[in-house]
Amino acid sequence: MTQDKEKLIVELVNKGLDGDMDSVNNHEDKIVRAKAKAMIMKVKKGTVERPPMPEISNQVATDPISGNQDQAIKIEDPFEKVKKVITEKYSNDLDEGKEANCIYFKPDNWLEIAKWLRSEPSLLFDSLQCQMGMDMGEDILESRYNFHSMELDHYLEVRIRVSRSDPKIPSVEQVWRIADWFERETYDMLGIEYIGHRDLRRILLPDDWEGWPLRKDYQEQETYHGIVVPKIKEGWD
Amino acid sequence: MGLVHGEEMVLNIGPQHPATHGVLRLQVKTDGEVVSQITPYMGYLHRCFEKHCENVTYEQVIPYTDRCDYLSSMSMNFGYVVAMERLMEIKVNERVEHIRVVMAELQRIASHLLCTGVFGLDLGAFTPFLWALRDRERILDLFEMTCGARLLYNYMWIGGLSHDIPTGFVESTLKFLDSFEPNIDELENILAHNKILVERSADIGVMPKDIAISYGVTGPNLRASGVKWDLRKNDPYSIYDRFEFDIPVGEGIKGTVGDCWDRFYVRIIEMRESVKIIRQAISKMPKDGDVHQSLPKKIRPPKGSVYARTETPRGDLGYYIESDGSAIPYRLKMRSPAFTALSVMDEIASGWLLSDVLAILGSLDIVLGEIDR
Repeated sequence: MTQDKEKLIVELVNKGLDGDMDSVNNHEDKIVRAKAKAMIMKVKKGTVERPPMPEISNQVATDPISGNQDQAIKIEDPFEKVKKVITEKYSNDLDEGKEANCIYFKPDNWLEIAKWLRSEPSLLFDSLQCQMGMDMGEDILESRYNFHSMELDHYLEVRIRVSRSDPKIPSVEQVWRIADWFERETYDMLGIEYIGHRDLRRILLPDDWEGWPLRKDYQEQETYHGIVVPKIKEGWD
Repeated sequence: MGLVHGEEMVLNIGPQHPATHGVLRLQVKTDGEVVSQITPYMGYLHRCFEKHCENVTYEQVIPYTDRCDYLSSMSMNFGYVVAMERLMEIKVNERVEHIRVVMAELQRIASHLLCTGVFGLDLGAFTPFLWALRDRERILDLFEMTCGARLLYNYMWIGGLSHDIPTGFVESTLKFLDSFEPNIDELENILAHNKILVERSADIGVMPKDIAISYGVTGPNLRASGVKWDLRKNDPYSIYDRFEFDIPVGEGIKGTVGDCWDRFYVRIIEMRESVKIIRQAISKMPKDGDVHQSLPKKIRPPKGSVYARTETPRGDLGYYIESDGSAIPYRLKMRSPAFTALSVMDEIASGWLLSDVLAILGSLDIVLGEIDR
């Protein structure tokens, strides 16, 4: 008997003992199936100790397609878990949204939620990867946050929508310090005001620039301190 | 210090100053020699990258990414194509993946060489700078051989590469690596254990772990603070999970963990690791395979968004791409690693002497093109 088969049997035994008898019963190889079942019985009686779970790395290597699927499921799972924890705690603050791979919040309670996201032991989002703003059209501006937990290694995307006429979102600059500059940039480009930010100035453009360049209806100013501002050209001259 | 307070003076370093590595203005409040507050002003190099992206097609974005971080254009290309391929679910063939890894790691060496050389220059050592540039030139020659350009390559395309590697590239690269490896030791000996450099950088500008994470500092700067985090290992993209290499972290050999010396030394060790990866990638590279095989006929990604991160020489480069199903990006955001690294300046550099501020800035390895975009 080869080592691979032994590993396979041990794996099936472990699965069976954990309640997953289907994968044992549906196994193709008759001998492996029988041996696995016999071993399960022995373990249950207590005559044999439960074998440790073998490393399944070579199985993934031999079967790339199913290996990829496994990985996809693994990536999905933590997010669903995170989503469940959050939606249970802050069900009143959820906003409606189209996308399923992120969480929409209403802006009002955002600072409190942010502090909780960072400190809650089952979430621990200590790193703000990216913060950006977007003009969604139909009078809506959106602020998006990509979080990552260095310790628990899971991801989260949060989106907050505000109306263009009153674009105000609580600032999380004191929760994640990098939000300081990210929020300044979003303010600079889209004019979303972050309430409670200690130093909300333009960051890339000069302080006296007019308008919010990344909004879809942006019109360049004619002149800046007497310098003519070049327009975006349509087609080739 | 602290007992005697003199009159506060505001001093502008830059925008035109060799030590700011580009057009950056640091407004420092000083009390004598001691710096009490630093306010960086940037935007002098702002070229409206994100606005431009909303007006050009997806493939036309690639040359713009070159120009963001002009010292590691290959890595910038790489990050963008990884994001786009994830959005469009394109799988490229093995040869393309291997060539990409070789190019990205060569670029990492070139970028780290410049960084360590210039760091020495900032602290008054001129010779290592010339040595570093000498070796960097040879990497640029390899790039020129491949795609004709020395700095701005436009080499990686969505679903492939612009050219296959030319005949003789593999031999030249191996020849370069053989002669380059002893040069790393030489560079380390003349810089890392040089008494003047150690005095000027050890225990200076210490960045603790939690501050680094909170400020979103990534890449070598984060690793120097003792966090073992590298996207190539922790969240592998492309084929990085197949190679054996170590992640160097700062150990505070000459001073405290996370000081300027650690940030500088991590880069030296990383060059050795990159050499290891290139050798493995070259030996595993398949002989056949068309680099244009999976180029899409027209690039119209499905509706949706993607956020993909890759490890550039400066840290986590993130592209957030929102697609509305047309041939033009609806919104493209680049999360630049140097941007976050610069934001920590005030936190770690205030309280030090004026001359230390330049050492700290040099050790963070910023590129203004990427900060201002």
